[in-house]
Amino acid sequence: MGQTTDIGRRIELVPLDPHFGDVSIGLYRQQDDECPVYRVHTYSRLSGAEDRIGFIVRAMEVLGGMEQNPDGRLQFPCGWDHNLAVKRVFLEACKLDPSGPVEPRPLEILDKKSGLQIKVLSEGDGVYRVTAHGEGKDPERRISFIAGGLMKLAEIDAVDGTLDRVVFPCGYAHDALIGLLLVRAPNVRAVLREQEMAASRGVLAAPSQQDR
Amino acid sequence: METSVIKQMKGRDRVLAALRGEPVDRTPVCNPTSVATVELMDLVDAPFPDANRDPELMARLAATGYTELGFDTIMPVFTIIQESSALGCDIQWEQKDNWPTVRMNNPIWEDVDDIKIPSDFLTHRDTKCVLDAISRLKKEYGDEVAIIGKTMGPWSLGYHCFGVEPFLLTSLDDPGRTHLALDRMKEITVEFGRAQIEAGADALTLPDHATGDLVSGEYYRRFLRDLHIEMVERIPIPLIMHICGRTVDRMGYIAETGFAAFHFDSKNTPMESMEAVDGQISLVGNINNPETLFARGPDEVGHEVCQNLDHGIHMVGPECAVPLQASIENLKAIPDAVKDWHRSHAHDHGTG
Repeated sequence: MGQTTDIGRRIELVPLDPHFGDVSIGLYRQQDDECPVYRVHTYSRLSGAEDRIGFIVRAMEVLGGMEQNPDGRLQFPCGWDHNLAVKRVFLEACKLDPSGPVEPRPLEILDKKSGLQIKVLSEGDGVYRVTAHGEGKDPERRISFIAGGLMKLAEIDAVDGTLDRVVFPCGYAHDALIGLLLVRAPNVRAVLREQEMAASRGVLAAPSQQDR
Repeated sequence: METSVIKQMKGRDRVLAALRGEPVDRTPVCNPTSVATVELMDLVDAPFPDANRDPELMARLAATGYTELGFDTIMPVFTIIQESSALGCDIQWEQKDNWPTVRMNNPIWEDVDDIKIPSDFLTHRDTKCVLDAISRLKKEYGDEVAIIGKTMGPWSLGYHCFGVEPFLLTSLDDPGRTHLALDRMKEITVEFGRAQIEAGADALTLPDHATGDLVSGEYYRRFLRDLHIEMVERIPIPLIMHICGRTVDRMGYIAETGFAAFHFDSKNTPMESMEAVDGQISLVGNINNPETLFARGPDEVGHEVCQNLDHGIHMVGPECAVPLQASIENLKAIPDAVKDWHRSHAHDHGTG
């Protein structure tokens, strides 16, 4: 009788996809023989839904440096789950305009708050160093803040005794992921606020607790 | 609850027996309020807000509570604003991923004498939608599961139609006028409830939001207990009272009304709630929505289900309308956990 089957644990949801018929799209985590794998899925049967899912999967490959299995599921090359990072990759992939190009983000941004050019350098074994260039305010503070932002967005660890270095616990390089996160890291509080607002939407409040 | 020697029951019989306080084969899984989610809307192509205004979509979405989730009930009245819309309240219908609400800063009534039930109350699009949806569900699923309707109580209607603050202030400044207002608004509750019975409802949820954050247990006794006793006398099918939040201070009064069950919130523990109602009324609930069903996983859902069953809660289900972003796997975990619990306890007692 039922049409739904076990497709794993849903770890993230876009309830209303503005690029495809306002459908909901979920990210599901499954455990393969060797490592966690992720499946992007919609319950919608609208014509074109499969293509939309295909686009998001390809975007996640590019934006997050993930690999696609023959069955369309995704995983990180290192075999780790990177649970928080994969959610961010999914959300950013869903936001992308499907009519535009999908390209990896550079490891360099202009930090609007300080006017500094921020570059992130890979130092091997999953270690990345945040650097600041050009004329701008308070470079050391901004470097530390942006490194902290990367850690909060993707559960990356600090390198002990430093304020400018972070390390993926898997010990592998994840350049694409760092490029994706770097865009959000200077304003991590806004990202967290956006997440909280999205989570509170769709929760019914008693009339006595509704905005009046 | 006696469950061990009963032959396997259909969902409908199981729910109605539990509402009557009779033995059941296993604890029913009930949703006196909505289990609609955005994923279920996509599955059957019945999105909000249309699924609150079109009977075919409403019935199709509601049926997933049984066909996909495996509950023993189908409850098509997702919102708390259907009758308020028919009364003329200004409704913000929202999008697929959010609940319609009454714009309570724009109330339609200021005084008791303003209270009027429009002549088209039961033929208004938003009440008729409920009646037609119940009728469709009764035809298709009425033999298998219990069809539960919903009619809002006068206290909730007072918030919607007068605005929360004016309504509460009047209850302090002029309690007599509040009694009079409730007395007039109760006719809306009765009329809509009876119409749903005619359409095929097996039981009705009656939300009346005298919630713990704004109203004391003593307030409930003074303004609502007798009125609710009258509701039970005038609406001749099992009624499930629903009040959100911390309500243990009024559960004793609610148990005196004759309601078949009280749908209670996870802010009240199963143990203290069972003590408070003292066997006079069945309890249904109380799986937490915002933390457990929305943000955690099936294991945590199963744990809460077992806590309720361990304390003898009569019917298990979400504490209130589930968040629209709740996952299907978490909702399916409720009936799964109930069945597992009964299997393991049957083994414990050697009854297989």
